Amino acid sequence: MESIKLRKITSVWILAVFVLFIVSIVLGILMRLNQGEIIKQNSVTFYTNMTTHGLTMIGIWFVAGMAAINYLMERYVKTSYTANMIALVLTVIGVLMFWATTFIGKFHAGWTFLYPLPFKVMWATWATPLFLVSLTVLGLGWLIWSISLMTQILRKYSISQAFAWQHFKKNPSVETPPFILISMITLVGVIACLLAAVVLIVLFFAEFFSNGSFVNDALLMKNLTYFFGHTIANEMLYLGLAVIYELFSEVSGTPKWKTTWYVAVAWNCTLIFILTAFFHHLYMDFVQPEGFQIIGQLASYLASLPAAGVTVFSVLIAVYRTKIKWSLTNLLFFIGVAGWVIGGLGAVIDATISNNVVLHNTLWVPAHFHTYNAMGNVLFSIAFFYWFSTQFTENNIKSEKLTMATLTILLIGGIGFLLAFYVGGADSVPRRYSTYPAEFTSAAPLAVIGAIFATIYLIAILIFFFNISKRCLKVLSSPS
Amino acid sequence: MQQSSILLLFLALAVIGVIVFTYVYLSSKKVEQSEQGMANPQKKRFWFLLILFVILGIFASVTIPKSPYFLFAKETPAKTIHVASMQFAFFLSEHAIDPENLSGESIELPANELVEFRVTSLDVNHGFAIYDESNRLITQTQAMPGYVNRLRYKFTEPGTYNIFCLEYCGMAHQIMRSSFIVK
Repeated sequence: MESIKLRKITSVWILAVFVLFIVSIVLGILMRLNQGEIIKQNSVTFYTNMTTHGLTMIGIWFVAGMAAINYLMERYVKTSYTANMIALVLTVIGVLMFWATTFIGKFHAGWTFLYPLPFKVMWATWATPLFLVSLTVLGLGWLIWSISLMTQILRKYSISQAFAWQHFKKNPSVETPPFILISMITLVGVIACLLAAVVLIVLFFAEFFSNGSFVNDALLMKNLTYFFGHTIANEMLYLGLAVIYELFSEVSGTPKWKTTWYVAVAWNCTLIFILTAFFHHLYMDFVQPEGFQIIGQLASYLASLPAAGVTVFSVLIAVYRTKIKWSLTNLLFFIGVAGWVIGGLGAVIDATISNNVVLHNTLWVPAHFHTYNAMGNVLFSIAFFYWFSTQFTENNIKSEKLTMATLTILLIGGIGFLLAFYVGGADSVPRRYSTYPAEFTSAAPLAVIGAIFATIYLIAILIFFFNISKRCLKVLSSPS
Repeated sequence: MQQSSILLLFLALAVIGVIVFTYVYLSSKKVEQSEQGMANPQKKRFWFLLILFVILGIFASVTIPKSPYFLFAKETPAKTIHVASMQFAFFLSEHAIDPENLSGESIELPANELVEFRVTSLDVNHGFAIYDESNRLITQTQAMPGYVNRLRYKFTEPGTYNIFCLEYCGMAHQIMRSSFIVK
């Protein structure tokens, strides 16, 4: 079983994620208020906040998923505390460096830092190299952590067992737990996209230090950027799914989920689809080979089959007319799966090339990814946080009314804030505009509505934060 | 309009999703100990997957041929417009644009004839998005340094069309715009 040190470091991860999440939500609300002309920020402040909001959110939900699978993996294999600690220290250093580039250096190239924008310096000259160094530090910490977890899996399971290939045949002699299978598949994706980030950063630095003698290819850089960006944003969701496979039945008081042939096939297919779906970010680059564009659409469609047919269907089967011990943990898992499905629908619509031509870079894009993050992945992680925090302390949320009230606030806030994005996207409102030209008459009112509902969402998050952090602090202050 | 249909389709699917999840949740709240779970779940899973696969297959085969790369691919454009983008302006011309001596001109395009925009960027990535008179996005492509994207379109309605940058390009991204007239 897990050590006290692991409990403590997991508590630190949870507290750090929550604090950074709240700051990032506030930045998001400020952005919507500025777009709604309720407050007046100059465009540099807006885009600086946008860059901070985006990269911080990606970073924290990735580490939240990693911290959760690291904690649960201890049930099956010994994990490395040192790797976990290195990742924590490097994440803190990386985030501080990154925040220095944005809040002090005014770096505002967006979290996707699309080449060659970081080189068109509209901020302190030191901010671009420091931004690249901060990404290197974050990437290094996460790479060490991911490789360490994968190594530990492979010490106990052979490669074919880790991928559950023996389940393709009837009556396998060894069972691979679903948690190990999904963690393995996800870690392969994570390591692949982090390696792409390494290549990307090396190419950035090569141009930076070449004094103009080396210039990168913009199309290659964009492919690398989205291979990294798309994949990490999706893999962090899959980390959350690994947690659901492990915990949903346990907290519901139902039989533990097992790996079957179709679970094994589905997750192996997912790995392929997820690594090729990123092409849908380049649909509007008509110079990209057409074959890649079509692979992008097909892979995006196919990725929904194992997700819907196996994971979502299994969650529905697990609940349908089954006596469940409902608690905040499995309610958040259940609502999160619904959010993931609805965000996925918005994503599949956008991943259709003929739709993308009228949706690309409109508010439809933040609409769908906020759906499966804010109402999907975030809820998976908070469910884990809550479950974790109640393992060692007694004062669970006893009042069912408070739980239901908080969830209602979360749903009202989440749905309202997302609808403002979807309606704006269908009304052709561009994303990433600090203020809107007069032509977009619906844009500012929608932004105000978005800000109001996002504030309601924030209230629910604050309730979770106070409840969970109180207990995590107790874990931290308990004797070692 | 395409966007309205997309929004309606999405909302309809989202509502169905919410109904299914709510129904399943309520079914677990009401259940007696004796009645457990779903009958024949694997058979239902198989049919669900098959139906989903067929729907997605139909969607892909209907939509992929409508992708912008294939539209008007075999026709010859009546007019070609060169577009050079840079922070934070578009230069449009009927003639090739000299990056050393940038100049644009006001553009008038014929209605119901094929137009090709040859879009590039002289600095960072930009978006080249065309909006009709009701401020609806009708088509777009990216402006990428070192590459020329060819965007073909047939305008059916005369009027003034706006161009907005849809790829974040820096501090004045939101004011990067241009326009042309279709007669």
